[in-house]
Amino acid sequence: MTEGILIYCFNNTEVDYAKMSLISAYFAGKNLKKPISLVTDQSTIDWMITSDLYSKAERLFDKIILQERPRYTNNRILHNGPAKYTVPFLNNTRYSAYELSPYDKTLLIDSDFIILNDNLNEYFKIQQPVILGESIQDIYDDKRLGYLDKFISETSIKMRWATTVLFDKSEESEIFFDLVKTVYENYNTFSSIFRFSPLQYRNDVSFSVAEHIMNGFIPASRYYLPSILTTLDRDILHSFENNKFTFLIDENLQENYFLTAISTQNIHIMNKKSLIDRTDKLLDTL
Amino acid sequence: MTFGYLIFVKTHDSIDYLQLAYGLALSIKNTQQEGYEKVALVIDDKSKLETLKSSWVFNEVIEWGEQAGWDGRAWMHDLSPWDYTVCLDSDMLFLRDHSHYIDYFIENCELYIPNKSYTFRGEEIFNDYYRKSFTANDLPNLYSFFTFFKKDSNLASAFFDLVKNITLYPKEFSNTFMQKCKPKIVGTDEAFALASNILGISDDISYDLDFPKVVHLKPMIQNFPWPANLVSDHVGLYFDTEGCLKIGNFQQLDIVHYVEKDFMTNENISLMEEIVWK
Repeated sequence: MTEGILIYCFNNTEVDYAKMSLISAYFAGKNLKKPISLVTDQSTIDWMITSDLYSKAERLFDKIILQERPRYTNNRILHNGPAKYTVPFLNNTRYSAYELSPYDKTLLIDSDFIILNDNLNEYFKIQQPVILGESIQDIYDDKRLGYLDKFISETSIKMRWATTVLFDKSEESEIFFDLVKTVYENYNTFSSIFRFSPLQYRNDVSFSVAEHIMNGFIPASRYYLPSILTTLDRDILHSFENNKFTFLIDENLQENYFLTAISTQNIHIMNKKSLIDRTDKLLDTL
Repeated sequence: MTFGYLIFVKTHDSIDYLQLAYGLALSIKNTQQEGYEKVALVIDDKSKLETLKSSWVFNEVIEWGEQAGWDGRAWMHDLSPWDYTVCLDSDMLFLRDHSHYIDYFIENCELYIPNKSYTFRGEEIFNDYYRKSFTANDLPNLYSFFTFFKKDSNLASAFFDLVKNITLYPKEFSNTFMQKCKPKIVGTDEAFALASNILGISDDISYDLDFPKVVHLKPMIQNFPWPANLVSDHVGLYFDTEGCLKIGNFQQLDIVHYVEKDFMTNENISLMEEIVWK
């Protein structure tokens, strides 16, 4: 049985997801020691070639899988510390992971998720078709998270996180990803039923809804991937040296920062720009 | 050996508690196995049963109305016609078979009162919004909505004797034992908690079990991010022709204590009557 990792990346005008996917792939490969495939589109590949990243991508990735550039659905506001910028959200074709993954068992990760230990290897042994990330855990304190980081709406189900998703090639997984696609394609309708905001498409919401439906509309008694340790996009990646990520954490989201560092725990870095900026040197060595 | 459920109803100006009890009895008949589906009703006016299409769902009817409001429940041990009884609140609904758990209680307990309840989303309730006096006075968090007891039990007799006393003299007991936070009314839950505390039997009559799981639909303990007057202001309660209940996005499989009395409409009663007749 083959096991591997899958990363999606579609560049936009503001964020170089291609670079991020290389960084994410580097750490995932180093720590999980599994092959990694990339799902991307031709324009992102063209950019990789232009910016001299493609040869690195060929070395890091087991397979580079081409997909049509996803349909633009909405913009998303991201922070880079105190600064704000708007990006088109293109990462809405995750439902195709089942079809595109070349592996029997796949760990699907966000390109801003950095794997710094081998703990997730243990989860490949679990016999459950789809395993989602259970929740997120703020690197500082859960007080920085909102209700809608924990539930998809005020009255509905718990938010599960598609930042990490482990799945096999079973029929149940296929149904699950078909259902994620159905939720995506009928997002407004599902938003009425589950009372979440339809304004911005979120993979986390679609995956959470699909899981709840698959589980018969009752709270799931299932395995989950570990809670996802997260730095918010208001936090800043200060440096990356000697395998240590050092962050400026915005304590109360009012630009009161303190330093903290991570070296052995998997970390979800929501400030994409600072992740790209601070790992340039690492990229040069790949 | 006899086992059965017991429901108390009393005439009320604006709420038809008999209708609620009838709905609960229908749901018990529709979901519990034979031998575990008997229901006894304690009512202050027996003649009201004539209005029901299927009053036979009450296997025993006891006319009794000596106490006002819900205080009569303190007499459940005296009034129950069963050897083993589960006394329920009338505004509850059974949605699947729980008979096997009853065997556990009969074999292992003389008196059992749950200390947990759940939101409609399946979360255990820790919020003490409605139970400040329990927290302040360090009382056991007992829920009288599902009370199992054995008729021939010294433990149950002693417990309910004290509960009756507390019910008859609530001020005296609350002045003495609930000084840190006095509830407006010493209800059945408070009386149970006080009695178990005074007798020092809390650990014997209330401990962690997987059953009963009772969904308690009081609005302020549903973990909504805002205050709520009614759960139905925020989520729908959908009762279908199979007798299944969905609340919001959640299929309900456990016992639901729906609290909002107007949930038990004639239409919902009709749906359950259809099922019971089949």
